[in-house]
Amino acid sequence: MGAASFNIDQDAQGRKFIRLAGQWSLRAIENDFGELKNSLSPFFSDPFVHWDLQQVEQLDAAGAAILLSGWGNKVSTLVTLQPEQVELFDTLLNLSTSPINKLQYDWLSPLEGLGLRLLAFIQHLKDFIQLLGLLLIEVGYLIKRPQDFPWREFSANVYKSGVTALPVTALLGFMIGVAMAYLMARQLRVFGADIFIVNIMGLAIIRELGPVLMAVLVAGRSGSAMTAQIGVMRVTEEIDALTTMGISRILRVILPKVLGLTFIAPFLVLWTSFWAISGGALSSNIELGIGFKFFFDYLPSVVLPVNLTLSLIKGVLFGFVVTLVACHFGLRIKPNTESLSTSTTSSVVTSIVSVILVDAWFAIATRDIGV
Amino acid sequence: MKNRDADIVLEVRNVSTQYGNVVIHKNLNLQVRRGEIVALVGGSGSGKTTLLRHIVGLTEPTSGSILLFGKDLHSLDRIEKQHLMNRFGMLFQQGALFSALSVFDNIAFLLRELKQFDEPTIRKLVMHKLALVELEPQHADLLPAQLSGGMVKRVGLARALALEPELLMLDEPTAGLDPDRSKKFVELIKHLKQSLGLTVLFVTHDLDTLVSLADRVAVLADKRIITACSLQELASIEHPFIVNFFHGVSNRLEKAK
Repeated sequence: MGAASFNIDQDAQGRKFIRLAGQWSLRAIENDFGELKNSLSPFFSDPFVHWDLQQVEQLDAAGAAILLSGWGNKVSTLVTLQPEQVELFDTLLNLSTSPINKLQYDWLSPLEGLGLRLLAFIQHLKDFIQLLGLLLIEVGYLIKRPQDFPWREFSANVYKSGVTALPVTALLGFMIGVAMAYLMARQLRVFGADIFIVNIMGLAIIRELGPVLMAVLVAGRSGSAMTAQIGVMRVTEEIDALTTMGISRILRVILPKVLGLTFIAPFLVLWTSFWAISGGALSSNIELGIGFKFFFDYLPSVVLPVNLTLSLIKGVLFGFVVTLVACHFGLRIKPNTESLSTSTTSSVVTSIVSVILVDAWFAIATRDIGV
Repeated sequence: MKNRDADIVLEVRNVSTQYGNVVIHKNLNLQVRRGEIVALVGGSGSGKTTLLRHIVGLTEPTSGSILLFGKDLHSLDRIEKQHLMNRFGMLFQQGALFSALSVFDNIAFLLRELKQFDEPTIRKLVMHKLALVELEPQHADLLPAQLSGGMVKRVGLARALALEPELLMLDEPTAGLDPDRSKKFVELIKHLKQSLGLTVLFVTHDLDTLVSLADRVAVLADKRIITACSLQELASIEHPFIVNFFHGVSNRLEKAK
């Protein structure tokens, strides 16, 4: 058996014959149908050429389809076939090929896209509020039956999204504290206002940076993990299995995540802020010669304690927003890989955006407190 | 004799597999000749799927070699390996369709990969494959998640057949199908084997599938292939697994008569 080939004959009456030979099939790996089609194309356009397929050893659908497309989707009377080839060509010709929908540009499509987006957003909002309501119902149920509280899942979530996040939040907080204090120290020295580094670092980190840093890190780390986990549980029907066992999916899957992260988030904020301020103190010590003891003695007198309370409230709020958004997107995942990846991305992006929006609102609402 | 060698599509030579301390295969041998339908049977956990994964090149045995069309997959360079892999098709137990692609794109995937066909020809070929597995053209636009279990198997089969392979491997082809559908699926495979000249190797637990499809049965027990013979010949073999197993087979053979 050999690769597909053809030769050209002319008989006494001057009629042109194309004789195909070899294996006209994908099984012969030497075949390149693209090239074969190109080299045959001058004969395809000639309506008086005779085609002889009787020496072909094997013809499969691919070979036949190439020939058919050359012949313009018909087998003319000038083609000589073997009986089983006739059958193959007949099958191919009788296939109901629905016409390919040609994409035509519609001038209204941007408007339509905008409308669809708006509808999708409203749908998201509806689902989100529904999730919030379901959570409230579960909380109500738990108040009636406190013994049903999912303690194991709760503590697992506290550990997974809180305790294992300690090293990375500490490292990030410390590095940012060092970098910020270093840059600020150089500016302040110009004015001889060295001492204000404590005010700036204390207020900026405790009030703003600590909570936001924590939220961004947790959204990237735990939020994405939650979305993916809930999504895969939906795909593998684990959530349905839970429901058929008479166990509420909200109570067992969503609530422990929401409560766990909301509970641990203020502690993470404290932890992150502590390391960021330590980094700042180190930088001030090296750049401005401010002693550690002085730095930490002076800090409470320039940053009012109420700022710490605000920071903890922000921690609770951000933790809640991040998990709620993560669970919301997790529950929307459809059973395919594409949906899993888009939902996880949207979850992280949306939670970071919402955290910053909430932060802005919070800054306006508390503008008279503690500064 | 030489002629016979050329007819061997798949040869498993002295394959041993060991994971940690667990020995799965020990000096296992198997031959599949052109045009045969061979069933691989064995108890749960006997290493059938592991052997199938070795054969298609997903995993490598601890020792021994596997020759597909006379060549060892793991000794080839990348291009040759891909050519060789295009000569067989595999139907996974759960279908393993690409969930983000439509039925059409799933089947067209390898045809596009070849870069030899223009889009109308690919369309024609995909429709041909869909017709082969008895699916309707309007199913082409569905996503795998919208298909029923039987349709997933059919689409998986169509995808495995896209490049006109010589050897078809099926992992539990009828698992999860109701008896009626599984009977139809077996008929379909038989019909395709006739019309496309396929060699088929399949793993199964289902005795009905086995009796109606297999020319030859390879029994995997005691970490090796203890016999590879026709169903009728199984009766004369004294082995606890086969005796137990054949009881079910003979009942069905009687019925088939």
